[in-house]
Parts: sequence; structure tokens; C-alpha cells
Amino acid sequence: MVIAVAIDEAVDQVRELADGITYPVLMDPDHILTETYAISNVPAVVWIDEQGQIARPNASEFGSDMFSEFTGRTCQGHFDQIRAWVHDGVVPDDADSEIADLDEDEIAARLHFRLAAHLRRAGNEEGAARHFDAAAELAPLDFTVVRAAMPLRGESPFGEEFFKLLDEYQAAGSPFHGITPA
Amino acid sequence: MTTITILGDEVATATGEWADGRPLVEPDALSAAVGWTLKPEGLCRDDQCVLVGDGSAIKVGEKLDLAAVANAVDQPTVIDPDASVVVLGQPNATRQAALRDRQAPDFTLADLDGAARSLSDYAGKKRLLVAFSSW
Repeated sequence: MVIAVAIDEAVDQVRELADGITYPVLMDPDHILTETYAISNVPAVVWIDEQGQIARPNASEFGSDMFSEFTGRTCQGHFDQIRAWVHDGVVPDDADSEIADLDEDEIAARLHFRLAAHLRRAGNEEGAARHFDAAAELAPLDFTVVRAAMPLRGESPFGEEFFKLLDEYQAAGSPFHGITPA
Repeated sequence: MTTITILGDEVATATGEWADGRPLVEPDALSAAVGWTLKPEGLCRDDQCVLVGDGSAIKVGEKLDLAAVANAVDQPTVIDPDASVVVLGQPNATRQAALRDRQAPDFTLADLDGAARSLSDYAGKKRLLVAFSSW
């Protein structure tokens, strides 16, 4: 079964994306998941078996080929792998990949983000800005920290700031806490 | 005295004070604030206790420093004295168990109708956990 978690507080937009979906869609406005699973960008897909063991850790996988020109990965390959796992218990070779732990700065960045989001919801824009800035300074290439803050700061997550982040991310070798596509 | 907000698994508040940038509460307010209780054997939660020696690392006079308590139980914090908020992160051991021992951390979040759902509600099934967003 699928459990979808929106690393997001925009419940109306998530509801639109989830229209027609029958599996659980959960909201994670405080980014609990990015802390406990060391997630640094979305989408991130984790396979969890019947015993609660991670069968394949964080991987960047898409539900459609909308971005495949950009990611070099089609969804069909992942769907086939999931089918083999569900039917025959077979996991792909990359399933034993080790995912690097978050460092102290990346953890602190998540907590600053959580605080900023809380202050923003409480109407303290100045305090929110201060902590969004602190978060971005600690983890400048982390999409769950920097890009997720864009709509909360009145910026477009598809605008100029995003492309600046993307350039810097790619120039740094696209650091991602998860399996990188072969 | 002032109200200190603690952003942990849930949002909690405690009556306390800030002294030299340290968030202090009375010992009997600790449990409601961070989920840990100071007992003679140490800081305890459920069936687990963490030794704190004579307690000098977490005490200021008779009061307890919330950030020092979090540090003692290996939960990261960020504090903001101006906003009177302590952010209490997830235990580092939880994430390390996910990455090293492949144990999927449980979590509880609200679904789109506001109902609380946990990963463990679906134990015994193969689960595809998909983190996504609108941004």
C-alpha cells in the first residue's frame, strides 16, 4: 500500500494533488519526516516491509514521466521494481545503498524551519524570517529547507529563487540524502 | 515567570523563565513539557532512563534547563528566547536506527480530514512511503 506524506502546510493545494486518490495522504507541516528519515528533497520514496524494516531507502522516484527529461529516470522502471518486490520479495541491487546521516547543521536547519513555520502561523513574520534565514544558512542546498520556505516567504517555488537554488545545487554535485539514479 | 512554548511531537507549553538565555522550568513541569521525568535514577520516559549523575548539567538551582535536558537525552534543540520557544527535535537515535539498522521510524500525522494516522497502523503490510509536496 502507499502512504503519501506531504512535506507541506498548504492543505488546499495538497488536497487538489490528492484528488481521486484512495490511499492515505498525510500532512507534515513541521517536517518531522525529513528529520527522522533524513529526507532532503521530494519526491522521496522509502520501501517498508511487513516487519517495519526499510527494504529500500530514500530514493528520488516519480509517479509520472513529467520530469524524466530532467531526472534521467522513468517511472516504469520503478513500477517494475515495486511489482517484483510485492510479488516475489525481490529488491533491486541499489536497495542496500547507505544513506548518509544528517549532519548537525542539517538537523539544526530543520528545527529552525519548524520554528519559522510556527512563528509565521502565529503571525510573527519578523521572527519567521529570522529563522527561515538561519535554516537556509545552515543547509543552503536542502530543498526541504530552502525551497519549502519559498511559498511561506511569499516567493514562488517555481520562480527565480528556485532556479538559483537549482544552479547552486547542481554546481555542488547535486548532494541528496538518498539513492542517486545510476 | 513566563510561558515557554515547546515544539516537539506536539506543541506544549510550560510556565518557566529565561535566565541567561536558558529556558528553565520547575521539575514538576518537565514531563508535560518534554515527555521526560526526572527521577532518582535519571531522566526517564516509558521504561527507559538516562543517567544524569548529580544532575548539575541540567539544573540551575532547583530549576531544570530544558535545552540541557534535551541534550542529555540526545534530542537536538533550537531555542529562541525572544519568542520564548524551544524546538525539541526527534531523538538522533531514531534517525540513526533508520539509516543504520533499517528500522523504519514510526510517526503520527494528520490526514486530509484531520484524523491522526500512524505508519504502524498499517503494520504487517508492505508500504511505499512517498514524501511529496506542492512546492
